[in-house]
Amino acid sequence: MRRKLLIVSAILLAALILSGCTGAIAWPGLSATDKAAVLANTNAVYGVDLNGGNLVWRFSGEGGGFLNTNRSLFITTPVITEDGLVIVMDSSSKHVIYALDPKDLRENVPNIKWRFSEAKGLWIAPSLIVGDRLFAPNSDGKVYVLDLQDGQSEKQAIKVIPVSQEQGAEDRLWGQPVTDGERLFITSLDKSVIPIDLASYDILWHADLGGAVPGGAVLGGDGMLYVGSLAKQLERFDPVTGKHEPVLKDGTKGWIWGTPIADGDNLYFGDVEGYFYSYNTAEKKLNFAPLKIDDAITASPLILGDKVLIATESGNIYAVDAQGKSVLWYGVEKGKAYTTPILAGGRVLVAYLESDYYLIALDEEGRSAWTFAGK
Amino acid sequence: MKNPANQPPAQRPELPQFNPRETFKTIAVIAVLVLAFMNFPYVINLIVNILIFIYRLVGQSFGIAIILLTVLIRLVTWPLNAQQLKGAKAMQDLQTDKDWLAIQKKYAKDREKLASEQMRLYREKGINPFGSCLPTLIQFPILFALIPSITYAIGSTPLSILKLSKSLETFGLQDVVSLIPLNSKFLGVDLGLPERTLLFGLSIPLLALTVALTTYVQTKLTMPPSGGPNDQAASTSRMMSLYMPVMLFMFPVNYASGLSIYFVASNVLSIVQYALMGRVNWRNLLPGGKKS
Repeated sequence: MRRKLLIVSAILLAALILSGCTGAIAWPGLSATDKAAVLANTNAVYGVDLNGGNLVWRFSGEGGGFLNTNRSLFITTPVITEDGLVIVMDSSSKHVIYALDPKDLRENVPNIKWRFSEAKGLWIAPSLIVGDRLFAPNSDGKVYVLDLQDGQSEKQAIKVIPVSQEQGAEDRLWGQPVTDGERLFITSLDKSVIPIDLASYDILWHADLGGAVPGGAVLGGDGMLYVGSLAKQLERFDPVTGKHEPVLKDGTKGWIWGTPIADGDNLYFGDVEGYFYSYNTAEKKLNFAPLKIDDAITASPLILGDKVLIATESGNIYAVDAQGKSVLWYGVEKGKAYTTPILAGGRVLVAYLESDYYLIALDEEGRSAWTFAGK
Repeated sequence: MKNPANQPPAQRPELPQFNPRETFKTIAVIAVLVLAFMNFPYVINLIVNILIFIYRLVGQSFGIAIILLTVLIRLVTWPLNAQQLKGAKAMQDLQTDKDWLAIQKKYAKDREKLASEQMRLYREKGINPFGSCLPTLIQFPILFALIPSITYAIGSTPLSILKLSKSLETFGLQDVVSLIPLNSKFLGVDLGLPERTLLFGLSIPLLALTVALTTYVQTKLTMPPSGGPNDQAASTSRMMSLYMPVMLFMFPVNYASGLSIYFVASNVLSIVQYALMGRVNWRNLLPGGKKS
């Protein structure tokens, strides 16, 4: 009998291990204060010293729920306030936003200055700070507006009206909002772009892109709003009227996942087929033909001096110059880079999934300065 | 000193006779298992595609799609389950067989001889001792692949949607863009996340508890009648009725709650299959129903 029980236990253990072959369920979120990299990676948020890569603080949420199984999940890009508060989102079924104060550590755990737990859906989208307000889009289709002082005051969650609520599908908000100072532009997985008046919270117009928008929008140097979608097209919007048109005659080769970035007249973005695009908004044309880089690109590019860095699913980082020449800037044997790299403390920080380390700091030549493995 | 020449020659244990049909079955099962595990991502892709196909067919409801997928898996594995039941019944009947009990008693102290006699009895009665376990084994790749399949297919996080798109592209049969966003809600629960219900200030995994309860009921109902105090099969079943609910509780409590739907549907269908084959023991659910 004992042997049979052992066999059953072994089979169930094997099931657990094999099901673990699915790997991580989400990629990490990365940002930085002036002193520390802030990495939201699965069950904890880590504050990592920018100089040496040492762990400064760690936050793993509150309470585990029934049988301690309801663990927190941190995957959303943390947001840093002017006062140095770190806003992190628990993407487990607890749906909590925490404002952490890394200047007030207790046994290397930052003090929770406030928490907000009234949302009903998953936190995926990074929030946006506008003045003293925090705009936090949630997968329940609402944008929550919180007072940065206490995380509670505003109380009036904005309901984003879905444009095409087809067959019960939800209007999940996954992209970080962007603002021109008067309006807040929200993108939605239900294929919509929705601007909200920052004073009245009224929805000004809405448009259907024909494909889900997992990333955010960007304001170009020409004052227009640019949005990429899974419909393999970059769309240009008049932010006032909502009038829009496709930017690329032939579209993109694959889905546009990461938010494009603007640098003067240029827009840079990638697609999940591994192509990189450089578009001039003044001349309304591509600076060079779509450049096949490597594996899928889900991260936004990073501008480093006169080159643009692109992280790919293969884990490699490529540098592209203004002429459209790409070189392998940092190569890996193991790991996937879905998260947008950031520049902090004079170093390029790259968060990895399925690697021996969570985070690597690279100098301006693409050489490893330090790595952080979660300890 | 004993003279070796005076000792009777050592009796060599009798080897089981070659049975081409049974051998072929065993090899086939092992081959399927090896192939499935070598191509595990392919098995996952296949299940994801079937799940998404059903999802579209039923008007984009993941809950119903998972239930129908469970029905489909049950139908496909019906002959295997039936064979497993048949094998288990034969083994169970053997426990009370007169000849079986006789050799147990006679060769209690000679394990080698006992094994050889047991093999002889298996052959005489046409029983394959692995008849109940091989069909079970072949179902494991499906179960193992279901966990990641359901997690990908529901697409609650950016990474799962990316993996889903790659999975669907493998077969190239379905337009991924039109599918997103997927409707992961079923009866108010997001099937892509571990489910928790707030009751009296406590975060309770209701669906996982339902899995545990239905597993308990299913194992109780399908528990064979006891052949006596030494009936090992019945004793194992009793233990399983306690262990299995606890073990299966741990899956949905940590993974996407869509798995709970699969386990609950699977348990209910298992009871239905046993009932259709006349193997459900309803008295096991009642207090004092052990004599059934």
